[in-house]
Amino acid sequence: MALQGILVVELAGLAPGPFCAMVLADFGARVVRVERPGSHYDVSRLGRGKRSLALDLKQPRGAAVLRRLCARSDVLLEPFRSGVMEKLQLGPEILQRDNPRLIYARLTGFGQSGSFSRLAGHDINYLALSGVLSKIGRNGENPYAPLNLLADFAGGGLMCVLGIMMALFERTRSGKGQVIDANMVEGTAYLSSFLWKTQKSSLWEAPRGQNILDGGAPFYTTYRTADGEFMAVGAVEPQFYELLIKGLGLKSDELPNQMSMDDWPEMKKKFAAVFAKKTKAEWCQIFDGTDACVTPVLTLEEVVHHDHSKERGSFITNEEQSMSPRPAPLLSNTPAIPSFKRDPFVGEHTEEILDEFGFSREEIDQLKSDKIIESNKVKASL
Amino acid sequence: MALQGILVVELAGLAPGPFCAMVLADFGARVVRVERPGSHYDVSRLGRGKRSLALDLKQPRGAAVLRRLCARSDVLLEPFRSGVMEKLQLGPEILQRDNPRLIYARLTGFGQSGSFSRLAGHDINYLALSGVLSKIGRNGENPYAPLNLLADFAGGGLMCVLGIMMALFERTRSGKGQVIDANMVEGTAYLSSFLWKTQKSSLWEAPRGQNILDGGAPFYTTYRTADGEFMAVGAVEPQFYELLIKGLGELTLLKMQQEAVSCQARQTLLSVKRPSLQPKSWGTVWL
Repeated sequence: MALQGILVVELAGLAPGPFCAMVLADFGARVVRVERPGSHYDVSRLGRGKRSLALDLKQPRGAAVLRRLCARSDVLLEPFRSGVMEKLQLGPEILQRDNPRLIYARLTGFGQSGSFSRLAGHDINYLALSGVLSKIGRNGENPYAPLNLLADFAGGGLMCVLGIMMALFERTRSGKGQVIDANMVEGTAYLSSFLWKTQKSSLWEAPRGQNILDGGAPFYTTYRTADGEFMAVGAVEPQFYELLIKGLGLKSDELPNQMSMDDWPEMKKKFAAVFAKKTKAEWCQIFDGTDACVTPVLTLEEVVHHDHSKERGSFITNEEQSMSPRPAPLLSNTPAIPSFKRDPFVGEHTEEILDEFGFSREEIDQLKSDKIIESNKVKASL
Repeated sequence: MALQGILVVELAGLAPGPFCAMVLADFGARVVRVERPGSHYDVSRLGRGKRSLALDLKQPRGAAVLRRLCARSDVLLEPFRSGVMEKLQLGPEILQRDNPRLIYARLTGFGQSGSFSRLAGHDINYLALSGVLSKIGRNGENPYAPLNLLADFAGGGLMCVLGIMMALFERTRSGKGQVIDANMVEGTAYLSSFLWKTQKSSLWEAPRGQNILDGGAPFYTTYRTADGEFMAVGAVEPQFYELLIKGLGELTLLKMQQEAVSCQARQTLLSVKRPSLQPKSWGTVWL
């Protein structure tokens, strides 16, 4: 696999860090997730392919354990607010003095500096501060955050993976690690560069919710079907729009010009009335296999059974019969091989990991009896 | 810079490919954008750091020019529907025979195979086919695509950069290139793995638009201000919620937090097993 032999230490946090580390694990890295003793379970649910070590970082001897792990690792991924690691004597100067090859990835909401850098926040806040949230939402409604996908996962976790990969690649030349300031405000903004680059163009000339891409256009939106389901329409180009009109059983010469924005509200009502007459399955019969850019809005359950995903094997099942998306993208020679096993219990691999990293049996026993570490090798049901 | 000396050939297309190539250029790669003669301007607007070559690939001699470029390049990024490059005699078998180190990145909506792979589509279609669109949108309204950010840029362009970086890193060990099938349906689904992983949890127990993260909770949404502007509220944890209430000057609202949204859902999000437990396990995180 692409990341064979790469050792990652992930300090447990919410969504972005766990996702970042899961991607690395999917592509072959050995990931150790460090959790607080007493944690009941991995709330992130993104523990695939990882091993779990329960360690109290707040105790100096616990911090010292982490220092020994990082001395032999390739990547440290920490999600804490600026200054927290430094307080624990685990900042980059110290850890990279021990190990100049260490890639020290710091994944936060607001970043390592700046007036907001020590404040709490969540996806919606980072999305708001990035400027991007102000562009998302229907006409006449408040801006709407698309779950926690844009800041937590795209501008956060995924952008951090990118930074780590850049640093890993660069290290093959320089032999040195780096410190990565991956933060969700900047990551989300950078991801959305297109918005700034097209800000003065006609793409955004109307108020929020009245443009082509933000719900204004009748040919770029979703419609409800007769059975309460939904179809997605994305027929921007004239030749695709023609096929849309045809499939709807309408006549283009009886309709206003596609790009006549003043007529869009009326067109939306017209299209909605047509879509409401048939079921999702019936619309799929009409539009599947055409270039009309009309697709069903599949639910999470439906998508795993849809022909296209089935043919491609886009979804994987693990030993607990849970289905989730196969890692992307597909690499021809060294594809990701996501673990088939269930996610680890907290502290399930504490002893095995410490042993691998050169801790003696006596050291491990002492750390355990002093409650610096926790070992849950055999876990009763929660 | 991280990608010093890396040579990328980008075949012009819309949003995802140009963004992918721009990221590579930003981090130091030398990017050549190949555009059709007669194109008026780079509609992607994401040409930062690139150089532009106008070339007619449909002509055999044009295709031969591209072949020569790829023989000396590290990455080829092409956005065409499955089969198009093969028709131009520019498929991976040919180009990687010339140059076994070439990383051949294919960035499309539906992928290189499957019943939809030869169809046209846009961000909203890929988002719809991934399953993710079905979760986004207010209570009582149709699902709503957040511009073209999720499929075009996150699950598409950015995910493709990831694949290219994986391949570049792997090549430092194997000396060989790879073919990357980066498609927006799968990229967007993978990005959103969290949704599948928490599907059975209380995080999504209510219908769309009535959960904590999709607009159901009063403490995780936006509000309009007196001047027609907006504030974003994301106060999930009890101690942050208290500060929100304090700031709003409405202490009695504190009681409503138990009824406003399922307690179970919030517990799932925060790993607090009993309401009376102090969430001190998050003390370190929120220092």
